[in-house]
Amino acid sequence: MSKMFSPIIAAREGLFSLAGTLGKMGIIAHQIGRRLFRLDFDHEEFWRNMYKMGVKSLPIVALTALFTGATMVVQAAPIVQRYGAQQLLGWGAGFGILREVGPVLTALMISGRVGANNTAELGTMTVTEQIDALRALAIDPIAFLIVPRFVAIVLTLFLSTLYADAVALIGAAYAGQALVGVDPSTFYNGLTSGYMGIADVTNGLIKSIIFGIAMGLASCHFGLAVSGGAPGVGRAVNATVVASAAGIFVVDYFVSFILG
Amino acid sequence: MSVDANVETTSALPSEGGLAASVGRAVFEAIDSASQIYGVLVRTLYYVARARIDRDAVIRQMYEIGNRSVFLLSVVIGFIGMIFVLQAGLQMQRVIPDLTMLGASFLELLVRDLAPSIVALMLATRVGAGIAAEIGSMVVTEQVDALRMCGADPVDYLVKPRFLASLIMTTMLTLWSGAVSVGSGMVTAEVIFQVSPRTFWNLHLVHASDLATGLTKCIAYGAAIPIVSSHCGLSTFGGSEGVGSATTRAVVQSSLAVIVLNFIISSAAFIAFK
Repeated sequence: MSKMFSPIIAAREGLFSLAGTLGKMGIIAHQIGRRLFRLDFDHEEFWRNMYKMGVKSLPIVALTALFTGATMVVQAAPIVQRYGAQQLLGWGAGFGILREVGPVLTALMISGRVGANNTAELGTMTVTEQIDALRALAIDPIAFLIVPRFVAIVLTLFLSTLYADAVALIGAAYAGQALVGVDPSTFYNGLTSGYMGIADVTNGLIKSIIFGIAMGLASCHFGLAVSGGAPGVGRAVNATVVASAAGIFVVDYFVSFILG
Repeated sequence: MSVDANVETTSALPSEGGLAASVGRAVFEAIDSASQIYGVLVRTLYYVARARIDRDAVIRQMYEIGNRSVFLLSVVIGFIGMIFVLQAGLQMQRVIPDLTMLGASFLELLVRDLAPSIVALMLATRVGAGIAAEIGSMVVTEQVDALRMCGADPVDYLVKPRFLASLIMTTMLTLWSGAVSVGSGMVTAEVIFQVSPRTFWNLHLVHASDLATGLTKCIAYGAAIPIVSSHCGLSTFGGSEGVGSATTRAVVQSSLAVIVLNFIISSAAFIAFK
């Protein structure tokens, strides 16, 4: 009898734990926002994290963007051949890269590299009681550890997306020349003329900021909520990666819908 | 304060050599790990062909990789269907005011690229991290060395069941995800663009070549993800922190493998079926 009701119980428990996680993330967001508003955070820690997260991610972001741009051209190529319009290649690939694929794939790579690493670091600090030690020394762990990391994640994702957009468009232009036989200058013309506007670029960049906020909150929350020693850190890293990936796609839909 | 920060950041740079040296080091490291990954793949294929297959282990891994990813994948791919139809519809309205081909081009792209690639990216994060964490913690607790002492190759015992399970489950999950995203795309087209499901379900543009491309991608991703992440897990060193970094590496490298394979297979298919 109790077995029959188990899916409902499981769904209810899943819903409760989801609500709990979102609530805790909201509390962290409030705490971060208050300190950010007063610029009350550790600047040295911020620059150190910017280097570790931003600069060190550049190669992987560039590689991802290059291949993604090239793939977008391959996917858009049949449209060009069907309608025989070479100017449409720049539009077809550029639109997809700037609005969707650039921000989303950069966010996925950054969440795998930066978000997961950040959770592992904060989680190790939590299980070895370093965060409690900070509190015992009257140092605010949010201002000292969390705010710098959160700001660094958001900025890293924003700057990486900007960079990835540019690299992906270059990759797309040369893949178009190699595979479809469209001259790069025709490709760039297709990008700048007519159907595309600055709104396509800003749309993607606004998305990247929102993804960064979601990812930073998830990463910091799961890092601080670790319990149960070293295996707990592993579980937290896994939870961060999965939550960020699902969050990116869910947020993406609503942002696309609102921005039109 | 900013001066201090500069000192901090420069001290973290590679200590010897300039830009050329660090680029060269990165290239050599990449070649090194690529050849190691190739070694794991060859050994896995050898054991698949020659050694007994432990059915229970494969089924356990299939549950771990497949059933436990269904919920995440359904959520993600459902939203992908809605996003794609929304964005493609908005763009098509700018160029051609006729939206009757919306469903046909959605289905074409879904079969050829979207379903396998998005599923593989999600599996690379969820399954890749899981495999690396599991094998990595076995390495640091010396369980893998214990296996070797007993004369069992960890590739045969640990990697092979994950490889087979992932090959099967990636294809299954792609089929399921395709169905979910067609459903969500259909609803979006009906609600936002008033394209009826009957018009939306148009298989005119889906050719056998698209189906072949999609299935090739499923198999390639299904093989690449467990191999790359097992390699990351097996090369773990340095305690529980090492497990964390192996997990991160597994996610990044298997996602990158998916993206590179996607480009290679897509362009090969484009040239072959042109």
